[in-house]
Amino acid sequence: MEVWTLLMQGFSVALTPQNLLWCLVGVTFGTAVGVLPGIGPAVAIALLLPVTSKLDPSGALIMFAGIYYGAMYGGSTTSILLNTPGESATIVTAMEGNQMAKRGRAGPALCTAAIGSFVAGIITTALITVLAPQIVEIAIKFGPQEYFALMILAFMTVSAVLGDSVVRGLTALFIGLAIGVVGIENQSGQARYVFGIPQLADGIEVVTIAVGLFAVGETFYNASKLGKVEESMLSIKGSIMMSAADWKRSWAPWLRGTAIGFPFGAMPAGGAEIPTFLSYAIEKKLAGQRNAANADEFGKGAIEGVAGPEAANNASANGVMVPLLTLGLPTSATAAILLAAFQQYGLQPGPLLFETNAPLVWGLIASFFIGNVMLVILNLPMVGLWVKLLKIPKPQLYAGILVFATMGVYGMRQSAFDVFLLYAVGLMGFVMRRYGFPTAPVIVGMILGPLAEEQMRRSLALSQGDPMTFISRPISGTILVVTALIVFGPWVWRKFFASKSK
Amino acid sequence: MKTIIAGQLAVAFGVLAIGLFFFVGSFWIPDAAGYSTVGPKQVPRVVGAGLMLLSLLLAWEVWRGGFRQHDEDAEAALPMDWRAFAWLSAGLIVYGLTIERGGFIIASVLLFLATTRAFYSTRWLLNLCVAILLSAIVFAIFKFGLGLNLPEGVLQGVL
Repeated sequence: MEVWTLLMQGFSVALTPQNLLWCLVGVTFGTAVGVLPGIGPAVAIALLLPVTSKLDPSGALIMFAGIYYGAMYGGSTTSILLNTPGESATIVTAMEGNQMAKRGRAGPALCTAAIGSFVAGIITTALITVLAPQIVEIAIKFGPQEYFALMILAFMTVSAVLGDSVVRGLTALFIGLAIGVVGIENQSGQARYVFGIPQLADGIEVVTIAVGLFAVGETFYNASKLGKVEESMLSIKGSIMMSAADWKRSWAPWLRGTAIGFPFGAMPAGGAEIPTFLSYAIEKKLAGQRNAANADEFGKGAIEGVAGPEAANNASANGVMVPLLTLGLPTSATAAILLAAFQQYGLQPGPLLFETNAPLVWGLIASFFIGNVMLVILNLPMVGLWVKLLKIPKPQLYAGILVFATMGVYGMRQSAFDVFLLYAVGLMGFVMRRYGFPTAPVIVGMILGPLAEEQMRRSLALSQGDPMTFISRPISGTILVVTALIVFGPWVWRKFFASKSK
Repeated sequence: MKTIIAGQLAVAFGVLAIGLFFFVGSFWIPDAAGYSTVGPKQVPRVVGAGLMLLSLLLAWEVWRGGFRQHDEDAEAALPMDWRAFAWLSAGLIVYGLTIERGGFIIASVLLFLATTRAFYSTRWLLNLCVAILLSAIVFAIFKFGLGLNLPEGVLQGVL
């Protein structure tokens, strides 16, 4: 088994004392930012980009990945105890887990969430290990046309399929594409929208945009809209361990949640909302068939309603690593920032990276196994420590977040211009939040936009300017047709269905 | 029965303005020689045109009673606190103005205090102590530990 040797090689990289330490730092920090409201993994990784540029790439990337999946564990703690889901994917956990906490069952809710995340994390990492080399084998034959088609697919799923509104999703995506266009264009060397400002010539940094949209925008929204809204935190009473009955009710939802979540993340569809809601609906239905008493608990704190969606959430988040590592295709805001982290070291994720930098890629994958083990230890016996973070009062919490945000953005290249830009982006983030625009497509658009432009121009250079090249090649043509189907399909189907029912 | 939500219309206009800016601006990008059909100006032009088109769709939604799938009533029920907004804005603008001359610690302390003020915190002494302690620790860790170049400003020599 070639995969086995590669994975063992990966473990030999990930198990060095230095990389174990990076992994521990990453998952610890990730849990913390997951627990804290107002700051998430995307901001945390973005803020660390400037200070890690001189580190060893494999150590830094192991840490970043640790932050990414560590935040998933931390996020469930907050949604169970505080009922303010940090991201839409944890709404379900907040719904059901908070109800459990209200009935004095916060401990088992946290426990099933953590173990569910662990089960999902380990199974999906194993799936990544098996699947990645096979996808790489196919992807190695891809030309620029196929990459361009895949990027269009990613754009459309991130902005049009997920989220509430196609129009607002696409608007956010195009804002991101517009931001990505600013700066010296790397193929022709022409300056675009620079206006003689040197800071713009290098392009707008993803750090500024991510921190502005997520941290500053969130602070503005909290201060000027939610400043007086009181949050009540529930405490953990009694044992955190699950009873035998809880285990019996949890294990199947964990596995089903994993099975539902992973494909959603692994296909360039992104987003954990659909799989978590799907998992919740399935658990509710199955509980009804088996045990009426358990089914009645749904909405009032059923453990299945925490176990399934949490596993689905984590499985989908891990699945996002498949298109990111094998194709260089980010399908979430945090994945886009991870891609920026690779780029910072001159690395481009994709099939070639598996050949040229096998120890780094496999070390990273091996670190997912290690990190998930660390996380379940960090989050179960030590959950009380994380709960303390939730006790930081809002004024000091957001003041601290802004101190870190400005430090990261200013320290990146010592430019006060970036601080004012951060303020402007923060205002944009506030307006977007207020009017229900999703922000993730902005980040994906600005990172993936320039790459898509490059692939498009390379394809057109190969075809002597004939745009049919995207459609006439079987793989890129199929991807584009699938994209069109998932974007327009529901709309056409609705029209057809509506006219029939009349 | 139809009401136009002013804020949403303003957002649509904002998107239109951004789109127009990128569309018109694309005509000033010089074309690079040696590129067959698509040079550096085509993509920005398509992006600008796309934003203009999307702004029209947004405006149409506003005209038809408001953004689809958006709970405007829930948002409107939370009143906008302009005082908090102004304190945060002041904090960030003052930070941008003082970071270079005043240095990292002074700028951060001012930002911290302005932010706690935006959230109506009245524990002045506590906030001041936390602000000084936090910025000093962050300064020490990131400047000396991680090599991030943060300005000392007027505290130069003291540190």
